[in-house]
Amino acid sequence: MVFNSASFLYFLPLAFFAFYFARDSRRWMVLLAASVAFYAVLKAPHLLVALAFVSITAYYFGLGIQRAEGEPRKRLLFWTGVAASLLVLVYARYLPFLTMNANLLLKSLGLDAAIPVPHALISVGVSFYVFQAISYLSDVYLEVQEPETHLGYFALYISFFPKLMQGPIERAGDLLPQLHRKYEFSYDAIRSGLLLLGIGLFKKLILADRFAMIADPIYLDVHSYSGLPLIIGTYAYAFQIFFDFSGYTDMALGVAQLFGIKLTNNFNSPYLATSVPDFWRRWHITFSRWILDYIFKPVQTYLRQYRIVGTVIALFATFFVSGLWHGANWHYVAWGVLHGGYMIASVIAAPYLKKLYRSLKLEKTRALRVWQIVATFNLVCLAWIFFRADGMSDALYVVTHLFSGLPGQVAGIFASMSPVAIVKHAYVALFPGLDKFALPTLIVAGCFMLALQAMDRPQNRRPLAEQPVLVRWAAYYALGAFIIALGNFGQSSFIYFKF
Amino acid sequence: MTTAETLSGVLCEVFEDDSIVATPEMTADDVDGWDSLSHINVILAVESKFRIKFTPKEILGFKNVGDMMKCIESKTQG
Repeated sequence: MVFNSASFLYFLPLAFFAFYFARDSRRWMVLLAASVAFYAVLKAPHLLVALAFVSITAYYFGLGIQRAEGEPRKRLLFWTGVAASLLVLVYARYLPFLTMNANLLLKSLGLDAAIPVPHALISVGVSFYVFQAISYLSDVYLEVQEPETHLGYFALYISFFPKLMQGPIERAGDLLPQLHRKYEFSYDAIRSGLLLLGIGLFKKLILADRFAMIADPIYLDVHSYSGLPLIIGTYAYAFQIFFDFSGYTDMALGVAQLFGIKLTNNFNSPYLATSVPDFWRRWHITFSRWILDYIFKPVQTYLRQYRIVGTVIALFATFFVSGLWHGANWHYVAWGVLHGGYMIASVIAAPYLKKLYRSLKLEKTRALRVWQIVATFNLVCLAWIFFRADGMSDALYVVTHLFSGLPGQVAGIFASMSPVAIVKHAYVALFPGLDKFALPTLIVAGCFMLALQAMDRPQNRRPLAEQPVLVRWAAYYALGAFIIALGNFGQSSFIYFKF
Repeated sequence: MTTAETLSGVLCEVFEDDSIVATPEMTADDVDGWDSLSHINVILAVESKFRIKFTPKEILGFKNVGDMMKCIESKTQG
């Protein structure tokens, strides 16, 4: 089930009231049943089997690791548990990719044996909860987390429906204690949860889907374009994926809040990052922490005697896996490796840049900060090309044609002296095939969102919740009216459902 | 010199800041510049100063400076 579907409109109140009226000792059962139902709606029975398998194996291996005598046995149980979870992920997501590449390898070796390529399975959510299970097993093995002794609560930790499909990837230490805690009704939590749900819907249905209207026509047929439309299409995609995913996360956080659960936020103004490492501290935060804690740190620790070389290898391995996690396709790997390259360059260049900025007296100046934000954003956008394109050849075409014919296109826009004609030419040149109302709608909706978020900042003297009733409800109604009037209902799914 | 004092000296050297004082509750977030990339420099400097070798599991399990101090003491006094 998805948050922007009609069935969720019935599901959510039903789940909430069943939860609210249930006895404390049974609330976990209501949430677990709701989570299974939420997943079952996808009508893919293998997903329910995968969820049950991952939950049960991680639960028993977690207990086994704690009870095992001696380090070698603990280590064996840890790796077996991780392998069991990974097996599910490989089976659900990577079999077609692996067999296709194995066949290519066999062919290049001159062997004529071709392995039949299996069909791709629906795998929504699998990579998220498999990562969560691995995180749990690692934390138990490292003795930073006590294993959960109740299978029901553990299954709920893995499958809690607001974060089941697309994260956030929660650590056991953050989520399990909240699931055990006695629920207390709080009007404020409900209010801010519903507001977050509304903001998430707004971001997804109005902003993300309109940015998609700009990016999609270009990226579906990149070879018909060069220069400006490719640049605009890429920038539009950068905002599409941000509003799509952060909208989803807002909805997940909002829905969880209705049940008294605070999930971890995944975004912190990522496009205001001043470096690529900073971007990864602000973008898909729970995933970044995961790859940092469970790939980068272990690899870097094992290779520490090689100093910077060890760090470079660890960064490369981390971002290679990150690319592969996003999709069983080489263009996702290219996206990951490019980010790995940025990170490596950043680590190597950081001390020299620091000295350079100091000698130019630019340290801590606004000009430097603006330059860093602009440069980082453009590096991230360059990488998004590989992420968005339908395959490596499309991605390479976009990268090599970003500036083709650009001067002529700009001159064409300004060929006429009349401002109306300039705007008209610009609209056609920059947004090919875009509905003429889409951009003004996007601008108005974007301004509303900025105003609403500025109003609701917790550091405000009077955040939205403390405003007079008229102001508050005017804002809520405006948000609802925007969603109903401009929402792109039932036409699109979330980008991160694929992963 | 106590473990905490020696560790403070190591941290001051790694982060080029003489004001750092190691306490058991301290975490990387409390020290400017102590991020996941520089963490390994702290580990290497500590290992070299105390002439010890941590196992990867020990390093990955440190939740704060206190955990690290306990581990150092178990190795230097053992």
